[in-house]
Amino acid sequence: MSIFAVTRREWTGRRNALLLALGIGVIQLLGLYFDPNPVTTQDKASFMGVFSGTMLAWVIALLFGATMVSRDLEERRFGFLLNQPLHPAQIFLGKVMAGLGLALVAGILASLPSVLLSGLWRQLGLKDVGSILGVGLAGSLVLLLFFHAVSIQVRSRSLWLLLDLAAWAGFFLGVRWLSLRLIDTEAFPDMVHLWGGLLVGVTLGLGIAGYLQVAQGRADLQRGHRWVSVTMAFTLGLVLLAGWADVAWVLKHRPPAAKAPPARVQIR
Amino acid sequence: MTIQAASLPVDCRQVGVRYGHTQALDRATFQVEPGQVYALLGRNGSGKTSLVRCLLGHQRPTAGRVELFGQDVWSSRQALMHRVGVVAEEPDAPPLMTTRQLVRFCGGLYPTWDQVGVDQRLQRFRIPMDLPFGRLSRGQKGQVALALALGPKPALLVLDDPTLGLDAVARREVYDELLGELGERGTTVLLTTHDLAGIEGLADRIGILHQGRLLVDASLEDLKARHRKVSWAPTQAVDPGDLAPFAPLWSRAGSLGGEAILTQGDPSQVPGLQAHPLSLEELFVALVGSESEVAS
Repeated sequence: MSIFAVTRREWTGRRNALLLALGIGVIQLLGLYFDPNPVTTQDKASFMGVFSGTMLAWVIALLFGATMVSRDLEERRFGFLLNQPLHPAQIFLGKVMAGLGLALVAGILASLPSVLLSGLWRQLGLKDVGSILGVGLAGSLVLLLFFHAVSIQVRSRSLWLLLDLAAWAGFFLGVRWLSLRLIDTEAFPDMVHLWGGLLVGVTLGLGIAGYLQVAQGRADLQRGHRWVSVTMAFTLGLVLLAGWADVAWVLKHRPPAAKAPPARVQIR
Repeated sequence: MTIQAASLPVDCRQVGVRYGHTQALDRATFQVEPGQVYALLGRNGSGKTSLVRCLLGHQRPTAGRVELFGQDVWSSRQALMHRVGVVAEEPDAPPLMTTRQLVRFCGGLYPTWDQVGVDQRLQRFRIPMDLPFGRLSRGQKGQVALALALGPKPALLVLDDPTLGLDAVARREVYDELLGELGERGTTVLLTTHDLAGIEGLADRIGILHQGRLLVDASLEDLKARHRKVSWAPTQAVDPGDLAPFAPLWSRAGSLGGEAILTQGDPSQVPGLQAHPLSLEELFVALVGSESEVAS
């Protein structure tokens, strides 16, 4: 499978990250033995284990995303993959899978010693483990794709960056406006749904933009940036429009009892 | 015999590349026929790299069309790369992968991969298999790249200045390997190089790019037949005006005598002129050398 060949290639040379993760895990373990209050320490260590493992996974995903294509392009090494009979999707997915795999394994290595030796693993059910891994992986994917796009935008040094800035600024202002409308009516669960939907939409857009950067930009960083910029501007606009439709629907269909009282009643 | 476009390994038509206001390549048109060795020459910044990037589907030309084996290279890059071996100008393999890992990586991508041939080549080049690519010498990197490019038994080999930075021995080894490949399988080769002396016995056809335009696209034999190099001693009273009927491409006169490259006529009629064999390098310099030396 060509995707896995690309994944293996990406892993080569980045294995030091796993050693670092193991080192972090072991250092946390030492806390279990050198603390005067072992009971509290065990709780702390197990929490810190999961927390630092997740954080490390996210940092690795961020760094991987920021370098996985743009550094190859800047150092003129992307041609090596383009000269092989590989589809752009195989190149992009192979790289994304390598980043996610590296983040996942590093996160597990960093948290495993504390989780195992503090006894936390006995309290964790499959659902908890699944939730922790799910949050870690989802966060890693978002960060990896986001920083891939950012690295292309920054390294290409083209004027398309202005469109990127305008699109993101417009998107955040739009999200703020939509959120305020929901806050005004105290529709907090709907706001969580809105943000979740926006995040999924933006992540999809980032994935498509990343793929198009490889497929249409290839070795041309500026052309790749153009595809990322146009795709992201379009996606952010579309996602915001969907968010606006969602908020409009929520405000229109909220049960009357749950609606916020009129403003003058609030003042009294 | 006319060769069908579908069987042409390389077919570039009116290819243009523009970066902002800079025209890097201007309507370059040429074909490479099966089994031919086509040398693309040009000074730095002449547009060679842009053309090679378009040829390999790394970059979309702003004008024109590039086809390999009758297929548009931009839209069919993946399928075409099964039949194309590439040696890049700068060795671009991942620096932390060992040669063994690189061979395994590439070998898994091609159904026609010749593992025995690759191993034999790497042994001939005395490449340490377990050293990371980034720690190999410049010459060794080039040799590994060549071995990997020849691994899938390509129908077309694209070599972007494969001897850049190599010493004479490494250069010879690269050319010997190429000659062996050409003799065995008749692979079509398109190469760019600054090593004009090295390719003189290898190239069938020459393309010379200058300031983004393809000045010359001709067989080496034709080029040499069309141009003649002459010189004259300081004692000979040869006036540059005497050479005008021979349409000099380039001429130079000084206290040590003079020399010129002529493009037509038989200069043996002019007393005092001595004819010399013309090297590719001399012709190249005459065509794209400094403007002050080139005769109008």
